[in-house]
Amino acid sequence: MSKSYYEFFCPVKIIAGHSALEHVPFELSTLGAKRPMILTDAGVRKAGLLAPVEAALQVGGIGAAAIFDDVPPDSSLATVRAAATTYRDNDCDAILAIGGGSVIDTSKAVNILVSLGGDDLMAYAGAHNLPRPLKPLFVIPTTSGTGSEVTLAAVISDPERSVKLPFASYYLMPNATVLDPRMTLTLPAHITAMTGMDAMTHAVEAFTCLAANPISDAYATAAIQKIANNLLVAIDEPRNADARLELAQASTMAGIAFSNAMVGLVHALGHATGGVCHLPHGLCMSLYLPYALEYNKSVNGARIGELLLPLAGAQVYASTPPAQRADVAIDFIRRLRDHLHAKTQLPRTLQETGKVRRDQLDEIADRALNDGSIIYNPKEADLGQLRAILDKAWG
Amino acid sequence: MTAHSLSLAAAQRAYVALMMTVISRGLCAASINDDDVGREVARFRPGYTLVMTVFPDGPRFGLEVTPDGHFARSAVTDEAADLVIRFKHLAHAFLVFTFQEGTARAFANDRMVADGDLSDAIRLVRCLNRMEALILPGPVARRALKQYPPLPLGQKLRTASGIYGRVAASFFTR
Repeated sequence: MSKSYYEFFCPVKIIAGHSALEHVPFELSTLGAKRPMILTDAGVRKAGLLAPVEAALQVGGIGAAAIFDDVPPDSSLATVRAAATTYRDNDCDAILAIGGGSVIDTSKAVNILVSLGGDDLMAYAGAHNLPRPLKPLFVIPTTSGTGSEVTLAAVISDPERSVKLPFASYYLMPNATVLDPRMTLTLPAHITAMTGMDAMTHAVEAFTCLAANPISDAYATAAIQKIANNLLVAIDEPRNADARLELAQASTMAGIAFSNAMVGLVHALGHATGGVCHLPHGLCMSLYLPYALEYNKSVNGARIGELLLPLAGAQVYASTPPAQRADVAIDFIRRLRDHLHAKTQLPRTLQETGKVRRDQLDEIADRALNDGSIIYNPKEADLGQLRAILDKAWG
Repeated sequence: MTAHSLSLAAAQRAYVALMMTVISRGLCAASINDDDVGREVARFRPGYTLVMTVFPDGPRFGLEVTPDGHFARSAVTDEAADLVIRFKHLAHAFLVFTFQEGTARAFANDRMVADGDLSDAIRLVRCLNRMEALILPGPVARRALKQYPPLPLGQKLRTASGIYGRVAASFFTR
């Protein structure tokens, strides 16, 4: 199926590889930044992940002017304001975000306040409401899944009003993302599994949903291949720097793919489940991926069948009749989940999570029906069909 | 710009403006005549306002949710509306309103942007899809929709005639 029209945009410089951190001082200096604020969370700091970054900065002649390490897993307006105050009090001129999705989203929101002034983040909520470019923002991911290091979006909670504020602007995209395997070597096995499946789902949905385009396809299939080849390796050999680097690159490539081709039913169900049951996003992705592909198969089975090449390799792809490729691809994903369950206890069904009640499924279906991602799903889904998928995912 | 392309743009603009008038009135009618659309609209809060428009300066229409949970036409501005769906160009709106490109496909092809709560935009798209399934001939609706719902002919004709009747009447009453 050829794409009649598409847009693709990713201005983020990718700095990737062994010793990538050592390139940060020079890259900051090219943007005129001398006093970066490190934005991170307590867990990252406790894991000792700031040490190689600070060492690289120091040798490069740039010291961190401030460190804000109080970002919670679900960042809020108060956190953003507190971090912005730290930035201003220390006369910083750039942000270095070191962490996972919450830290990265927080850094984008902090950048709005410190660049545009004031404390009223809500004035900039919504799509394309930022008037000009922001301060330099570099992102150093410490997980390999979110893809937020290359996206134009951020979500910040407003606990007082019990809402999540979405922000989307090209100006929110980081100037650079730094992929250094040292930052993920200590990632626990179950988080490696969960974030790996998050990245896998980004790539699979980017490839199989309505806004897929030739350029996002290239990123998506490369990401799928890297994850299929390296996720179990990284879990078996956590300190395998090559496998870690492959996963970090895959996550970023999947992020580039889905931020240009969007996502579909898995994310609609996952967002809803996260909202109702507070399950981690990556886990939700892993839970629903095979069931959503099964559902979509009647509409885009050939497209799903193409996933078999990056998933299982040329030999399996060539020896599988075209009509069976979609089923074999979905089966590959199921078996990958089985392996991850055996090695890390990553749940495969809603029941196995132990955190979802069957009487919550109706609410999950209702929320999924109104999730923004569902419009990009290739097959229409009504409430009854969503509920049927949830029943299958229950286990 | 040649005279030909100018006249083509003028024709497209007139067509899109006409279709926006029909669609907005059709949505108001469908929110009363069709249970599915009615249920969807009733989930917006009363007073909720939305605008569908074309960059840079229209054509456009505005709708407001009435206290009894139906759509009514509204003069709400883009700035004041809770949700604004904006086609990036007149030609894109023309594609959608000539049913050459469905609403979901138009989103996927970056033809338009939604400013507001995306959940509300999704609900509006469902209302549009349902209305199109009801009032358009099957072959045309199949081109515009991801999936044409199973609609018994009798139900389709009854509901469509009710919607068309209300739309026609609205041109005389407002």
